[in-house]
Amino acid sequence: MKQTAKRSADVAGTEEAQETTLTFGQRMRERFTDIIAQLAAAGALVIVFIFLSFTSPVFLTFNNLFNIVAQTTVNAIVAIGMTFVIITAGIDLSVGSVSALAGVLGVMLMARTGMSWPLAVLGGTLVGGVAGLVNGLLVTVARLNPFITTLGMMSVARGLVLVITGAVAIFGTPDNFRLLGEGSINSVPIPLLILIVIAILAHLILTRTRLGRYTYAIGSNAEAARLSGIPIRKYLTWIYILSGLLAGFAGMIASSRVASGQPNAGVGLELDVIAAAVIGGASLFGGQGTIIGTLIGAFLIALIHNGAVLLNIDSNTQSIIIGAVVWLAVIWDQFRRRRLTTISQ
Amino acid sequence: MKRFLARMLTCTLLVVVALQTTSCLQVQVQNGTTTTNNKSNTANGQLKIVVDPKAIGLDYWEQVHKGAQCAASKQSNVTVQWDGVNAETDVTGQINLLTNYITQGVNGIVYAATDAKALAQVTNQALQDNITVVNIDSGTDPQPASVPLFATDNVASAQKAADLLASSLHGQGKIAFIPFQQGTATNDERSQGFLQGLKKYPGLQLVAQQYSQSDANTALRVTQDILTAHPDITGIFAANEPGVIGAAEAVRQAGKIGKITIIGWDAAPDEIKGVQNGEISALVVQNPFKMGYDGLQAAVNMLRNHAKVASEDTGVTFVTKNNLNNPQIQAVLNPSCAHPPV
Repeated sequence: MKQTAKRSADVAGTEEAQETTLTFGQRMRERFTDIIAQLAAAGALVIVFIFLSFTSPVFLTFNNLFNIVAQTTVNAIVAIGMTFVIITAGIDLSVGSVSALAGVLGVMLMARTGMSWPLAVLGGTLVGGVAGLVNGLLVTVARLNPFITTLGMMSVARGLVLVITGAVAIFGTPDNFRLLGEGSINSVPIPLLILIVIAILAHLILTRTRLGRYTYAIGSNAEAARLSGIPIRKYLTWIYILSGLLAGFAGMIASSRVASGQPNAGVGLELDVIAAAVIGGASLFGGQGTIIGTLIGAFLIALIHNGAVLLNIDSNTQSIIIGAVVWLAVIWDQFRRRRLTTISQ
Repeated sequence: MKRFLARMLTCTLLVVVALQTTSCLQVQVQNGTTTTNNKSNTANGQLKIVVDPKAIGLDYWEQVHKGAQCAASKQSNVTVQWDGVNAETDVTGQINLLTNYITQGVNGIVYAATDAKALAQVTNQALQDNITVVNIDSGTDPQPASVPLFATDNVASAQKAADLLASSLHGQGKIAFIPFQQGTATNDERSQGFLQGLKKYPGLQLVAQQYSQSDANTALRVTQDILTAHPDITGIFAANEPGVIGAAEAVRQAGKIGKITIIGWDAAPDEIKGVQNGEISALVVQNPFKMGYDGLQAAVNMLRNHAKVASEDTGVTFVTKNNLNNPQIQAVLNPSCAHPPV
């Protein structure tokens, strides 16, 4: 990262490029703020965890923790894809609809055409990828802004779900399909294993590959990134494809858990997922965010949902709590960014 | 950064302005023809009737669709326009949808209100524009005298469901209740009926109540958590299709099939399978086909013959493993225009 920055200063030699050359101190501060953000979210997670352990006798049971993990996986996987998009200062409002589309098409493939369920899962995931590709092309080639693009896709995908299914839930999945969302290997839930693999891969991509570095670069300063010679169109499109693929795969897992393709699945999912990323330290202005942070955010939200039912709190109050937590997370984010600016000056 | 925001703002403004302009133009064009459409086409001419369920996507509403289409096929020159929003929670969406049809100038609207109070104004608007309105499944509050309601008497039926649950559990035990969405007439009526019915059985203890928001995955999640919090539950009552599917799935995953009596509303394919293999003890099955059928017929009657039509309780049937294969039950479960359960 340091070397790339130096090279851009040599090549471009303009003031603009020099402004993006990060000193070692600045880089360390950015890593530091990432860690602080994660610590804050992790702190909240630990506090809620301890609170629930004391107030509900059944919270700390294996069964309950198993359930929480299985329940969170769908949102966490989508949130990982959303993290990439948010880091580029973009947004993907279509993930809920796309996950439903993938879930429904995947189930149709296995229920109506007799395709084996692993292939159908792959098919569903690819459907998500295609949606992501369309999003990406509209953002990069047609130069539409991500908010409007994905807002449109949200409608288009939901409409497609209804047209294709004839607006009815699809049943008739093979019994083994359930394993995807509900199975376990040696008492470890399969969705958790899947989540861990995806999270590790995503973290490696984000921190060790060019795609990851360019994600941060595009989000921090798109103009400078473009002037430095980064092929923004290509990488941004791949990022939206990634978000779509993960939304598609998550949609298949959700379908597996209820053994059916539900046309109404994923309504409102995008907001939960954005909340998870923001709580975990991603900034909607771009350039900031980590996979670990997002996972912490997703689990925090899941803990609140789970705790609320265990403690008999109703769903409306749950919504209020989660909304308040998002506010706190964003206020904290603003606060430390302002402090950062004052320190570096 | 500033440029990005400015560009985004301009884009949004342009889109909003464009939408406003086109809808304004639409209204102007339609207004001219609205009154002529309604007046000249009623007696024997072409009738366009919108049938709007609470949401597209549940097996239940598809039966309503079939019923309406069946009734229309037995009339002449009646077009059924089937349209709706994606989620039963999208009240604003339904209001907008129906308002658009009112503006377009349809002859009749047969619909299920997503929110009893909010949709009352839409009904009034339609009536003012000389559009015949019929409600199915869920009415409005207040329900105008000129708007008949074809629905299940949810309160009485839910009370009977409580009776059925109590008799399965021999009047003793801890139970959970999974309603779907606060504020919709059907949800509130079923809750009211069920809770009222429970009062007769002091041995039954309601230990948990969580909303499913009409989403199977949410129902699965909350039922799982309820089972964790109260492992000694012996009965669950779920008030609509997604709730039953999610709850049954949760019971299966917890390995408690046969140990927990599940009584649920509606009859989607997996719910029927659940009854067949013993996961679900009984289903409270409404007659959505009849709602669509009678509703559409009433609308046509009111338009062509200026008839006064009264509201009707379309009734429920309790489906258990024992009576699943009776022909009358089958007609209710698998209605068709050839064997209509009306």
